[in-house]
This record gives sequence, structure tokens and C-alpha cells, in this order.
Amino acid sequence: MAGFSREVARRIYTEELKGSNYSFREGEDQHQYAPQYLLTPTGAKCNRVFMVGTLTEKDDIGGDTEYWRGRVVDPTGSILIYAGQYQPEAAQVLANMEVPAYVAIVGKPNLYQTEDGNIIISLRAESIQKVDEATRNQWVMDTARRTHERILAMTNAEPETISSDFATADKVSSSSPPEDVLRALQHYHTDTLHYKQMIIRALSSLKTDLGPVRKELESESLARPKATEKPPKEPAEKTATKITKPKKNESLNDWPDQENDEVETFNLSKKS
Amino acid sequence: MKELVDQISARLRDQKIVVPDEEIMSRLKKLIEEFRVPESEARRSVLNYFLKEHGVVPVTRAGSEKVKVSDIKESGKWVDLEAKVLDLWDPATEAISQTGLIGDGSGSMKFVKWTKSGLPNLELGKSYLLRNLVTDEFQGRFSVKLNRTSQVEPLEKDVEAGPASRTVQQMKVVEINEPGLWVDLKVKVAQLWETNSDAISQSGLVGDETGSIKFVKWSKAELPSLEEGKSYHLKNLVTDEFQGRFSVKLNRTSKIEPLDNDVEIGSQATEFSGALVDVQKGSGLIKRCPVCRRSLAKGVCSEHGKVEGTYDLRIKAVIDDGRRVQDVLINRETTERLVGLTLDEAKQMAMEALDHEVVRSMIENKLVGRYFSITGPRVDRYLLVETITESLPITISDVDELIHALEVE
Repeated sequence: MAGFSREVARRIYTEELKGSNYSFREGEDQHQYAPQYLLTPTGAKCNRVFMVGTLTEKDDIGGDTEYWRGRVVDPTGSILIYAGQYQPEAAQVLANMEVPAYVAIVGKPNLYQTEDGNIIISLRAESIQKVDEATRNQWVMDTARRTHERILAMTNAEPETISSDFATADKVSSSSPPEDVLRALQHYHTDTLHYKQMIIRALSSLKTDLGPVRKELESESLARPKATEKPPKEPAEKTATKITKPKKNESLNDWPDQENDEVETFNLSKKS
Repeated sequence: MKELVDQISARLRDQKIVVPDEEIMSRLKKLIEEFRVPESEARRSVLNYFLKEHGVVPVTRAGSEKVKVSDIKESGKWVDLEAKVLDLWDPATEAISQTGLIGDGSGSMKFVKWTKSGLPNLELGKSYLLRNLVTDEFQGRFSVKLNRTSQVEPLEKDVEAGPASRTVQQMKVVEINEPGLWVDLKVKVAQLWETNSDAISQSGLVGDETGSIKFVKWSKAELPSLEEGKSYHLKNLVTDEFQGRFSVKLNRTSKIEPLDNDVEIGSQATEFSGALVDVQKGSGLIKRCPVCRRSLAKGVCSEHGKVEGTYDLRIKAVIDDGRRVQDVLINRETTERLVGLTLDEAKQMAMEALDHEVVRSMIENKLVGRYFSITGPRVDRYLLVETITESLPITISDVDELIHALEVE
């Protein structure tokens, strides 16, 4: 009776989401209606994500029909979200919202590849709601916990199993959580310490937000370089082509495994 | 080599066959030296060769042993049983000519008689000596199979066997945690569902003070109909499991006895915390069938057709903690409190907008994306919300705790 089960909405910081470049379809026959998943560096296999952050920009980039784009910021960076005629409720909410505002988004990760091979991750919003700061803080904490769990699963995965699983890396089979972890390690050679530090950075900034002398601390805090540095850097990314440049720099910093990215890039272009 | 020859010739003499040692030796040599056959295999091969030459069918398996039903604790054994036929069931496939339950003083067990066995049919209530059965096991329960080599001999004497020698337990709903158990339940029928198969006469939910469980009543069981809201003593049900959820099945051996007293359906509350990620269709202002309380689709009840519905307010939502999802149902009282909107106000809203959907939209705006902690009984895939509160705000000590955990690793 319960053949259909709803996909869990994963909790992933934008930095990790943007570090992802491995997507695949699930199922024996990889037909076009098979669910699409994005595998993130810490092994979250996501078809849906839940995120709460600050909406800092919104634009109607559509022609005749409205097509809304927004930028949502969390303690680790920002990500673009989209809502168009196929997400009418989300598009309406976005259209009527004033920026900045705390928003909760349920959406599907979308992987787009630019002509010069860069990969851009965005979210197609299923729903957008205005929420309060307490909810945003809960999300930062929630996401820290879930990411921490994934990192723990990753550090527990034995190195031998990784190499023996090498042959199946490209196979798309139904995967249990450990398999996702192995695949992620395979593909990204994940530096778990890097993501652990990302969590600590996010939590440190959350702590600052919760603190009583918040305003003063925020301006001088070194604990959250990402959150304060990034927004000024990114407004340049207005269109897909413009995004390319800063994106590349960013992925070089955050993601030393450039070589590996390139390999996957080819696979992806073949698939699509 | 000489030893092997002696063994073989001894075995052959048992069957009154005399073969010169040289012949045995030359065959053995060929297998072992030329064809690298291990000694034990060579011996078997040579022995079988000469037995066959002299028209003796080799006996390859161990003889069967006469046992009691309760002695059967291993699959793949050949056994003989003196047993009575306690029940006969309809075989699910043509490969099976008969299946049912046989028993002796020590217990009872399922049997399967293959069509290929060509054996005569067993009669219900008669006792037999069954020779050369093979034992089998499925999910920890044993059975015996009658195949082509099995023999059936009717017995004059009656084998004593209690008709219900399998253990039927009087249980509470919450205790059901294993498929394939025979149980008795004292329950009230909470819901009856549409059945989508001719093989099922009724299905729905029954419950006692400990919880609710799905039930299925097979058409073949030819049992009387259960009524919603009535309490019954259901006897001889079999438990079943699908994707971690349990159910009970009423079959031909089951019995239904109406109870005079009313069974209170209670539940063991479970808790769940997470973000509310969806308010589903069918939430908000809905109409229900005045007879069965089902929600109506375009004024039509799936059971009672077109009816004049009564208004109700409810929420069907999904709560997600990032690891799994939980469907939840929120009734009118809780919805009114949670959203701050009474049923009358909701009706007013819908009337002004000429659209029921405005109520759902409003609920969506208030709830989606926020974190909640809920408690209530789990019924099928839903958690029926008894309490729902916004999750507590994050404190600095929560954050410190996690930072500390991350740093010490």
C-alpha cells in the first residue's frame, strides 16, 4: 500500500551544496521520470532539501511569464533559488516578499553546467515561507547536527571498503546510507576535517547571533569570515555567465580536488 | 588403493554382486591417476557404476527416521511421522496438490504435498503414517513436504492431536511484533476501508487500549461482517508484517465473537520533532460524510455516494527531521488552537473568498518551514497529533555543547 514514500528533505549548508557536483538518477532503467539525486561531499543523497536563511535579493528574470530568482544566505555562504510557473505558490510568495527576510525553503537541488564546464547548484523551490529568526537559528543547529552525523558515518567507513568499492562507483544502484558515504568518498575524496571546520564556523557565528552584545561582536568577529566576506563578493553573480568566474575561484579554495571535478564534468555532459 | 577396492567389493557383496577385484582396481586407477579424481569421489563413482551394471538403484540418502512433530528442528531431514490431518487449505499453486496442518500429541505443523508426488489425497480428521517426508523451514517455522519418494499409509488407530495445538496467545495490539504468530485479540473496529481486491471481504483498523492495527478479513474466510465502532473477541488471527508495519489476518480458522463491553481504543504516544515541510491537499476546511465521517471529494463519499456533508477543519502535514518523514493528522480542536482560527471563522473566510483553498493557504503560511515537536499515537502511516508545540529556541549552551563535541573528536 505504501509503495510511494516521500523523499526526506536533507539539511545541507550552502557551502557543501555548492561543493557538490555529482548527480544521478535512481533506478534500474534510468528513464527521465526516475528521481534525480545530488550526492554531496559528506554523503547526503538528496532529492529534496530544507533550508532556512536570509533572502538578500530577488529578481523577476522571466520574460512573458514571471520567473523569480532569489539569493538565500546561511552562515557558510549563499545559494540561488528559483520559482517559476511550475511552482506558482512559491513564486507568488517570493514575488510579494520584501528583502531582506528570513525564509524557509523546501526545494529540489538543481545542477547546471556552464559551457566552460563549471557546475552551478541552485534550488528549485517547492515552497517558500517567511519565518522568524528563532526558526533560522534552529535550522543552523539542525543542519550542524545532521552534517556532523554524516561526517561521523564517513570517518567510520573503513578505508579498505572504499577501494574495494571502486568498481561500483559509477553504477547507479539502490543505495543504503553506507553506500552513499562510500560513493561520496570515492568521488570527492572528502576532507572531513574541512567540513567539520565548516560546522564549527557556522556554529560560532550562530553563537555570536545568540549573544547579548550581538551588534558589536558581529562587526569585529573573526569567527565568521565566510558570512561577512562572501556577500560583498557575490553580488557580481547576476547571470549564469557572470557566475562562472567567482565560482571558479571559490571552488579552487573550497574544493582542492579540481581534477576530479573535471572528470565528473565529462560524465555529466554525456548524461545530459 | 587396496583398501578402497575392499570397501567397494564389500558394499557390492551386500547387494549380492560379485565383481573381480582387478576390474574394480582398473576403474579406480583410471579415475584417480589419469583423471585426478579424489579418492572418495572415485570410490563413489566406481561403486555406482557396478551397482548400475547389476540393476541396483543406488541409495544415496540416509534413511528416514520416525519422529514426533515437536522433534523437527532442522530443515532438509528425512522423517517419518504418525499424524492426523487437522486442517486443509487451498494450495496457492498447481504444483501443490494439498496443503494444510498435521499434528500429533507433541504439536502441529504445516505440510505440503507436491502434485508431482502422485500421492493419494489426505482426508481431514484421518490419521496416517507418512514416510519419507522432507523437513523444511521458512522464517523459523518448520513444515514437511511430501514428494515422489514419500509414502502415505492410512492408520486404523486415531492419532491424538489437539485441534489447536499451535499456541494461540491472547495478546494486546501493542505486543504484536512478529509475523506468523497466531493470536486472539479483544478489539474495537476503529475504521473500515474500501477493499480493492475480491479476495478481501473487509479491511480496516482495529484497536484496544494499547493501540491500533490494520486487519484484513479474507473473503474465503466466510466470516460475518465486522461493524465500525463495535467490539469483538477475534480468535485465531495470524499476524503479518509489511515494511515494518504489522497487521492481522482473519482466515478460515478464525472466529469472531461480539463483545458486550466496549473496548476503549487507546494508544502509546510517540514523539517526533522536525520541520513542518508540507501541508497537503485535503487540509483546511473540508466536508465529511454525515454517516461515516470520511472526507468528501467534490461532495461524494466513497462509501455513501453523494451526501450533504458537514464541515470540519483538519490538517494533513508532513514533518521531516532530515533523516525521515512523518505524516501527521491534526484534528479540528488542535488545528483551531494551533492556527488561531475557529471552524466558523474558516467557513466565513472560505465564503468571502468563494474558495475553500484560502484556509489551507493560510495554514500553510503559518506552519510551513517551522520546527515543531509533536506527540500522539501512530496509526498506520499517520501520527495522530495530540500535542503540538513549536520546538524550543536554540540556546548558547546547545551550540557550545555541539562545538565542544566537534572539537574533541
